[in-house]
Amino acid sequence: MIKSGKAVKMEDQSPHQQQIIEISRNVSDGGPSLGGVKVCGEAPCGFSDAEASLKDAKERSASMRKLCIAVALCVVFMSIEVVGGIKANSLAILTDAAHLLSDVAAFAISLFSLWASGWEANPRQSYGFFRIEILGALVSIQMIWLLAGILVFEAISRLIHDTGEVKGFLMFVVAAFGLLVNIIMAFLLGHDHGHGHGHSHGHDHSHSGHDHDHSRDHGHGHNNHSHGISIVTHHEGQSKHHDEHDHVHEADLYEHLLQKSSEDAQRANASDEQKKKQRNINVQGAYLHVLGDSIQSIGVMIGGAIIWYKPEWKIIDLICTLIFSVVVLCTTIQMLRNILEVLMESTPREIDATMLERGLCEMDEVVAVHELHIWAITVGKVLLACHVKIKRDADADMVLDEVIDYIRREYNISHVTIQIER
Amino acid sequence: MENSRVPKESFVVDGDSRFPSFKSMSFGYRASENESLPSWNGELGFGGNDRRFTFARQSSFHQSAELHTPISIISNGSFQPLLSPSVSSIKIPPTVYPQLENDNNWKGYQKASDGEGNFSSEKFSFLLFVLSAIRIIRYGNRPMKRLFMMISLNVAYSTAELFIGLFSGRVGLVSDAFHLTFGCGLLTFSLFAMAASLKKPDGVYTYGYKRLEVLSAFTNALFLLFMSFSLAVEALHAFIQDESEHTHYLIISAVTNLLVNLLGVWFFRNYARINLVYRKAEDMNYHSVCLHVLADSIRSAGLILASWLLTLGVKNAEVLCLGLVSAAVFMLVMPLFRTTGGILLQMAPPKIPSSALSKCWRQICTLEDVLEVSQARFWELVPGHVVGSLSVQVKKGLDDHPILRYVHGLYHDLGVQDLTVQTDSV
Repeated sequence: MIKSGKAVKMEDQSPHQQQIIEISRNVSDGGPSLGGVKVCGEAPCGFSDAEASLKDAKERSASMRKLCIAVALCVVFMSIEVVGGIKANSLAILTDAAHLLSDVAAFAISLFSLWASGWEANPRQSYGFFRIEILGALVSIQMIWLLAGILVFEAISRLIHDTGEVKGFLMFVVAAFGLLVNIIMAFLLGHDHGHGHGHSHGHDHSHSGHDHDHSRDHGHGHNNHSHGISIVTHHEGQSKHHDEHDHVHEADLYEHLLQKSSEDAQRANASDEQKKKQRNINVQGAYLHVLGDSIQSIGVMIGGAIIWYKPEWKIIDLICTLIFSVVVLCTTIQMLRNILEVLMESTPREIDATMLERGLCEMDEVVAVHELHIWAITVGKVLLACHVKIKRDADADMVLDEVIDYIRREYNISHVTIQIER
Repeated sequence: MENSRVPKESFVVDGDSRFPSFKSMSFGYRASENESLPSWNGELGFGGNDRRFTFARQSSFHQSAELHTPISIISNGSFQPLLSPSVSSIKIPPTVYPQLENDNNWKGYQKASDGEGNFSSEKFSFLLFVLSAIRIIRYGNRPMKRLFMMISLNVAYSTAELFIGLFSGRVGLVSDAFHLTFGCGLLTFSLFAMAASLKKPDGVYTYGYKRLEVLSAFTNALFLLFMSFSLAVEALHAFIQDESEHTHYLIISAVTNLLVNLLGVWFFRNYARINLVYRKAEDMNYHSVCLHVLADSIRSAGLILASWLLTLGVKNAEVLCLGLVSAAVFMLVMPLFRTTGGILLQMAPPKIPSSALSKCWRQICTLEDVLEVSQARFWELVPGHVVGSLSVQVKKGLDDHPILRYVHGLYHDLGVQDLTVQTDSV
């Protein structure tokens, strides 16, 4: 969002800190006069600006593609199981096919949420439809819990129906097949190295400097990537700075670029906890679902093997299923907590509201800050609203600009509404 | 309450005649102006003229004093006793209204819960559980006590059913017990939401915990949707397999279930409607609990009806009844699901018609110094508490205080309590 007229300033051999300040100054100065940054032309403004929405769209389409492939795979496997189950006339196989159907349902919900979150904002939904992601994730997690309960019930009914009709071997084979399917899909959904930096820098020019940065970013991202409830470290501000440098497109800025990126990378490493970019929450939900299924398949496999070897130790099957169900539920707790925090409009975890308030109060003209509310519309999109009381003789506009810059710089919150009062 | 009302003449803003004579902008309480927006007023169910009571129940929503840094109040002396010192000078102050019924109970509950220090919802120790149970029994308000009673009844019943089913080897009882256990878990979450929503807002949850009730209502509605879906699947299953799974012991359990749930419906009989106007957060929660027990009782009634029809020899009775029950539960739950979903999705408050909002918009735009109004977004925290933010472009070099107060007053009439207005000078 930089205005090219003022970008010439950056050619100076100035330290990076100053560069940063210059950039944000330019943006704020260009704001009111151009009417493009702070003010929207029409009544209900779309929530995000063009650049962020482009990034969003790319990320969304990548996630949707992944989920589509997962759904297709699931349907294929499910039809195989249904055919096999009808042929073999076995209830166990049909039950597993029903589980795969539930997988398909969960993926369908995630897919729908992903697609719906891209809808345009309208006067009724002034913030856009980003929250649908969160609600969809909540629904999938409820389904996981429901399925865990159903599985425990099935284990108990297996225990009760000890008429010997339960074939341990069949259970084992079916569960192994289910496990295989789930592992394939876990790889599919969890593997996002390729997409990780591809989407956010996708619209950059083919500047070789950027490739350098990519590898460095990716290197850092790699270190912090772990399967499960994983978070890919990705310095959110980096892409913006890179874009701004991109527009300037000067050769003698090359060294600045590399230096800056290394500095940013160091900062990314240092402030890991602050700037973390999570995988799309719906893909994460689908991944959790698949993970939970594979854990339960392992449990059923163990139970089946035990029943196969020693048909009288049926209780172990139940114990196994219970343990594994509890494990599955524990994996969902982290995501449930995130969802709950967003839905309760609480301050996002990576932002410390008291520090922000203190930092604002430390500014010269600011007397007090109250009614500070920081909340997220979805994971990653944070809004802020507060009332700032300033000294009587202070220049309201300047203070407003400073406050907005400060918040944008330090905490990377771009949707702020500040009410200045004296 | 006469002394608490500010005389209208004291409202003077730098001698400006620029503003339309918006009389109701007395900085405190409007008395009998019903000029604006009577259309939605009727829903609120209080005397139409005394609009003070419109916001009577909002006193519990206002944030506690600890949140704000103390500031000096504006020097208008007559406002002194009304404003709490930590509230923004622009903000329409919280009202000092007569206590609601049950407030004494709630105060006792709050004292007890505050006295416990950090009642963090993340530490699920058994001791905490027992303590909270005792607290609910002693201090909870009536719906909470009733809900607790219902939950304990349900838990006892389902445990009994589970053990009987396990030891006698009847799968139907066990599945019913599981179904009940899920329901109990959800009701416990509703109870927890009721209890937790009384907590005051803190640094992390700046809007308080009231949203938890909306969330629990949503979860209940979701569970009921799942139940309706599973009943439909069961009907399909019965249709395909063409066998009757219900024998006499299940009927006994269905009758007992029906009785227990009807007791619950009786407890929450105020909320036994499909479409309800929600005035505050607890309304949604109670409504969802009532619908939950209602749906359960419909399901038990359906099972009883199915078995009776089967004994009469009606073919496919089970399919019919299960299908009917599934459709009924679905229709019952959909409005609640939609409303709670709307709140959770940050939708514009349905109570405030968009014509009112655009009227306010136009009124602000007609002010001389205002160039443009943009990014007007409103959302409902809980039913009855609307939060909004707005961006106004004004001419440079003007004192924006009167504009701010005007805008705040304008939206306060609509029911938007928390408003943040950003004035950009051009």
